[in-house]
Formats: sequence, structure tokens, C-alpha cells
Amino acid sequence: MANKPQPVATDISRPYWDALKARRIELQQCDACGRWNFFPRRHCPHCLSDRLAWREVSGRGKLLTYTIARIPTLPDFADEAPQKLAVVELAEGVHLNTTLVGLDEDEIQIGMAVRPVFDASGDTPLLRFTGENKALTVIKRAADDTPEVASPAKAKRQIHFKDFESLKALVSDDYSGWSNTYTVGQELIDQFAALSGDDYWIHTDPERARKQGPFGGTIAHGMLIQVLLSRLTMPLDWELTGFGNMANYGSNKLRFPSPVPAGSRIHGRARVKAVDEVKAGTQLTLEMCVHVVGQERPALINELIVLYML
Amino acid sequence: MGLQGKAAIVGIAQYRPEKYQTAPRMFHLEQVADLARQALLDAGLEASDIDGLCVNGPHFHEASSFVPAMVGEYLGTALNFGEVVDLGGASGVAMAWRAAAAIELGLCRAVLCVIPQRMAPMGPDEDPMAMARAMRYGGHSTAFGAPEAEFDLPYGHMAQNTGYAMIAQRYKARYGYDEAAMAKIVVDQRTNACANPDAMFYGKPLSIDDVLASRMVADPLRVLEIVMPVAGGAAFIVADADLARRGRHRPAWVKGFGEHIISKSPTYAPDMLDTPIGPASRRAFAMAGITPADIDVAQLYDCYTITVLLSLEDAGFAKKGEGMAFVREHDLTYKGDFPLNTHGGQLGFGQAGSAGGMSQLIEAVEQLRGSCGERQLSRCDKAFVSGTGGVMSEQAALILMGE
Repeated sequence: MANKPQPVATDISRPYWDALKARRIELQQCDACGRWNFFPRRHCPHCLSDRLAWREVSGRGKLLTYTIARIPTLPDFADEAPQKLAVVELAEGVHLNTTLVGLDEDEIQIGMAVRPVFDASGDTPLLRFTGENKALTVIKRAADDTPEVASPAKAKRQIHFKDFESLKALVSDDYSGWSNTYTVGQELIDQFAALSGDDYWIHTDPERARKQGPFGGTIAHGMLIQVLLSRLTMPLDWELTGFGNMANYGSNKLRFPSPVPAGSRIHGRARVKAVDEVKAGTQLTLEMCVHVVGQERPALINELIVLYML
Repeated sequence: MGLQGKAAIVGIAQYRPEKYQTAPRMFHLEQVADLARQALLDAGLEASDIDGLCVNGPHFHEASSFVPAMVGEYLGTALNFGEVVDLGGASGVAMAWRAAAAIELGLCRAVLCVIPQRMAPMGPDEDPMAMARAMRYGGHSTAFGAPEAEFDLPYGHMAQNTGYAMIAQRYKARYGYDEAAMAKIVVDQRTNACANPDAMFYGKPLSIDDVLASRMVADPLRVLEIVMPVAGGAAFIVADADLARRGRHRPAWVKGFGEHIISKSPTYAPDMLDTPIGPASRRAFAMAGITPADIDVAQLYDCYTITVLLSLEDAGFAKKGEGMAFVREHDLTYKGDFPLNTHGGQLGFGQAGSAGGMSQLIEAVEQLRGSCGERQLSRCDKAFVSGTGGVMSEQAALILMGE
């Protein structure tokens, strides 16, 4: 995601990042005492000599320790949830912080042999690790959004819009499954800013939002997420029939409990909160929730009222 | 080598832990003066007796540098010793020995050690987002060239939970793990908190099942094994023997200390299970001329259960790898055979930022005085206090004695 903290190379560390870009791993070795060093420094942490040389290494090592973070360490890492944070000890003896990829939770064991994976999916290449016997070596740019929810195997249950008994049975505390996903990129946010006239910097100025904003970067307008409900198809297993006309009557409640950082993928789910017989016909109250993928806290809650008429 | 044991903690003050949202907002200078006044009243000393200062530098609201001079000026006190301590949760313990050393060197007669931890009032032009921004990366530096900004944060390695969790996972792989024993640490300390009306979790007992049923945050740490941040603040006064003998209470003599720092992140420690409290406490015990078996109350820093477990082992109360058995075999409450964190620990009392570690020290002083009420130990002459900063980054040990 766009707002994840990114490494910024220094004159000291640049060879490390340049090597990663070329899918090689280079570490510093001290020409005075022979010992290896990580993270990059100007002086050897064993003898303080400044005779450090960059040398290519295999990147093979073993898993020193790990944890599964069940709550994202920062909201921006929700797309990786649960994060498999790890410390790897390379064959040269140095330790480094990383994450494990391509491994199920039950495949992870402290002491297991691991191999490097070059992650080229973000702006800066990162070094992740997987099991020794896994085929994964490179992670390319993230896959595109899932276009549509696969249509359910069985046909949707048809309910007549005046069949209140069946309609009342739809009211539930349980949500539907998740919708398709949709990426809320900066370009989309900029277009919405132009359309709505809300061009506050926290939405439109990535540089300022990174430096001064509380979220490490820009976030989408709450109202944009509201509008994007149209882009999300909720996998409901029923549909209403027999009505002549339907109308969006508005909303009982609209909340934006958590931000959507630019670059986030969102998805949604829904539940029927109430069914009421009104003069004009049938009124269905749907609670629609949109979440950043992997985030437990919703970014949007909308109690939408849909009116079905003859 | 070391202290002669001729300086003592003679005065204490501590704000009751409160939720940040409802706690009073006060300037840090104002809190320092308020806590100093309370500690002086407790000690029976005059403001003019104070001639030394240890204060937190980071997170001091009204200044980021020249803090001791600003505080001295605000208090109207000239100082022979002005020290900023930047050791996170180990700061309280670290201040105590610095103050005792300054006194034994003859620099000072009475040193105020203080950490304010209530939020300051919001200024008219203050950016309300500044706080959220400062909180985003926890204790991590995002400065250009900071190794953690470049090599830890981009992978999502940040804040304290996952670092301590990875230490616990490594422990589990090397020595085995008994999650019910870990939960018992929380439960026994909660029993203590229920005998401390000032504790955040007073009146809220817990069972081992409650802890095991609480939400997993980062394997193997559950939410009830993690401290709750609270607003607060604390102070204590270390004085020379002359002032100590004229004080209102039994002095808590500073007989031994140790301090050890290995690395900011446990990732870069040679062995993350060999924690800094080992060398720190060995030095402290040698200086005091006693052994862990002589201790009447252990006040072990407890940001997480794993911190308590490793401190029990590395400070020498339990053998390495046998900490869980030790916890199973001992009653850790104030009624038990190994009284641990009798105020409830920070897990039961609440963690007021860097002042959280002072709660352990203040309880030790009160146990030595005999002023703990319901949770008072029948006999308490020797107390061990530990402090921990960062992710097992820095630890300090202190031995206080009643005689």
C-alpha cells in the first residue's frame, strides 16, 4: 500500500539497495577482523575498523524467531494481515528483520532453513524469506483487483417484495460474504477532489500528508468511499421480485470509523437490518460496511434505505 | 566498587493511574512542581533541601533540550547536578542510582527524580494531528539515516508487541512454553492489584481462563499479557544519610545497582534470550553483598509477561529455562511465598509511560516502610526492583534495604 513506510537509502546503505534491485544480496564484511555486518554502517561493529567491503552472499539462513501479528502493526500493513514478522540469521551470522512469504502458519518452525525472496511489488525492493524448499523467488507487482464476485453456484433465492414473512427472515446480525475488491488510488482521489471541490491537502497532497498528516500519507474522502459502494457487488443470496420501481431513499446513519489510505484495496459486505411495510411499499434497511482489505475496523458504515414500490 | 549504601529514598509521590481521555491535562513543568511538593511533604523536607535533579528528556512537553535548567528555574531551585535520563521504562531505576551516586560523591544532599506523564493542555495553535503523528511509529525513529527507519519499519517491524512476542517465540522453541504459567503471572499480579485501591484494575479479579481466552495480539502474547497505557506520573527524592534519618519514614537505602544496554532491537542482540537484566542484577547483588534468596519482595518490570519470566531467570530468582516451573510452584501474590509486584505490577496498576517503571520502585519503598495496607508483607527489609526500556533494549536493577 502506498502509505507503508519506505526505506530511504543513504550514501552508506545504497550498495545494499542497488544490489537488491538487481536481485542480489550484498553485505559488508570487515577486511580488518573478517566479520560480517548488518545493517550497513561506516564502521565495523566488532572492531570499529572502517575497512568494510561489500560482498555478495547467498541469502540462505535459518529462522531465528517469528511472530504472527494478529492486529496490524500499522493500519497500512492490513493487506498483509496476519503479518508473519520474522528474524532471519544468515549463514554469515548476521540477523535481519523481514517477513515470511509463501508459507502457511503451520509450516513455520524456528530453526528451519530459509531462502531469500526478492519482493519487487512495491516502490523499493524488499528482502523477504520463504522455506528452503519453496519455489517462490520473486514477488512481482500485486495482482489486479478481483473484477467480480464469482456468481453463487445456486441461483439467488427469489422473494416477492410483499412477502413480509420471508423478508423478515432476512433480518440478521450476520454479514454476507465479502464483495469484490477495488483499489482506491491517488488518481481516483484526485478526480473526486476535482469533482466535489473538496481538495483538502490530506486527500490531495501526498508530500504534505506524509510530513504533516497523522496517517503517513494521503487518505480517501469518506464520501468517495460512500460513492464507491456502487463498485462493490455484495454476494447476497437473495433478490426481490414483483416490484415496479425501486428507489434509494437515503440513509439512517453514515459513519467513517477508519481512514482509507491512498492505494488501499477495499471490499464490502452487507446485512439486512430491518424490513418495514410503508405506505408506498416495502422499505429495506441494509447495513453496508466497507473495509480496507484485512482491516477489522470498517472504513464506512452506511445504513442504506431502499424503497420497493409497485 | 560501587555505592556505600549511604543514600536513601525518603520521599515518594505518584499520580493515580487514569485513562488519558479523562485525566486532567497539566503542563509537564506544573506536574513536576506538583509531584515535587507531594514528595517533599511525604519526606518531611523543604523545597530548599533539593539540590539535584533527574528528569526525563524525551517526551518532556515544554522543551526537548535544556530540560534540567528549565525545570530548575521553574522550581526556583539551584542544582549541583542536572541529569536527563533517556532509558524508557528503566528510567526510574536508572535515576535512583544516579541520584545516589551524586549524593555519595558529595555533590548533592537531596535529588528529585521525576517523570510527568499526564498530557499537557493543547495550545491554541497546536496541531491536533501532531500527537497522532508522534504515536504512529511508537518509539521508533523515522529520521533519515536511522537504521530502524530503513531496515525495520518497511517490513512492519514496529512498536513493542511484536518484538516481545518474537522473544517469547524464541524462548518457546528453546525451552518450551506453558501458556497457563504465563497467564498465572497476570492472575497473581491482578490479585495484588485487587488489594491496591489505586490500581487501574482494582476490583477486577481475573482467572487463568480469562487470560487464555483473551485476544491473541502477536503469537504467543495475548492482550491481557500486555500493559495498558495510562496517564500518570511519579517522583521520588533520594537524600543523604543525615536528611534520611530526620525524615518521616523508614528510609529505603540504595545498596546496589546495575545497568546494562545491549541493543535497541532484540534482532541485533547476539542472543535475545540473554537479557540485559543478567549483568545488571549480578552487579547489583554483588554491590549489596546479598543474593536473590535474601530478597523479600521482587518488583520486576512487567510490560509483558515474557519480561517478568526472563527477569525471574536472568536476575537469578529461577534457573535459566525453569522460569515457568518457578511460576507454577510459587504463589506470587502478596500472601504468597514469592511476593512479586505487590502493587499489581504495571499489568494490574497501569503503565504511565516511562513513569510506569517508577510504580515498581515506589511500591518497594512502601513495602520497606510498612505502609501498604492490605497488601503489606509481614516482613520486608530487602527489595529488588528492575526496570526495562524499549524492547529489552536497556535494563537496570536496584536493591533497596530498610537498614
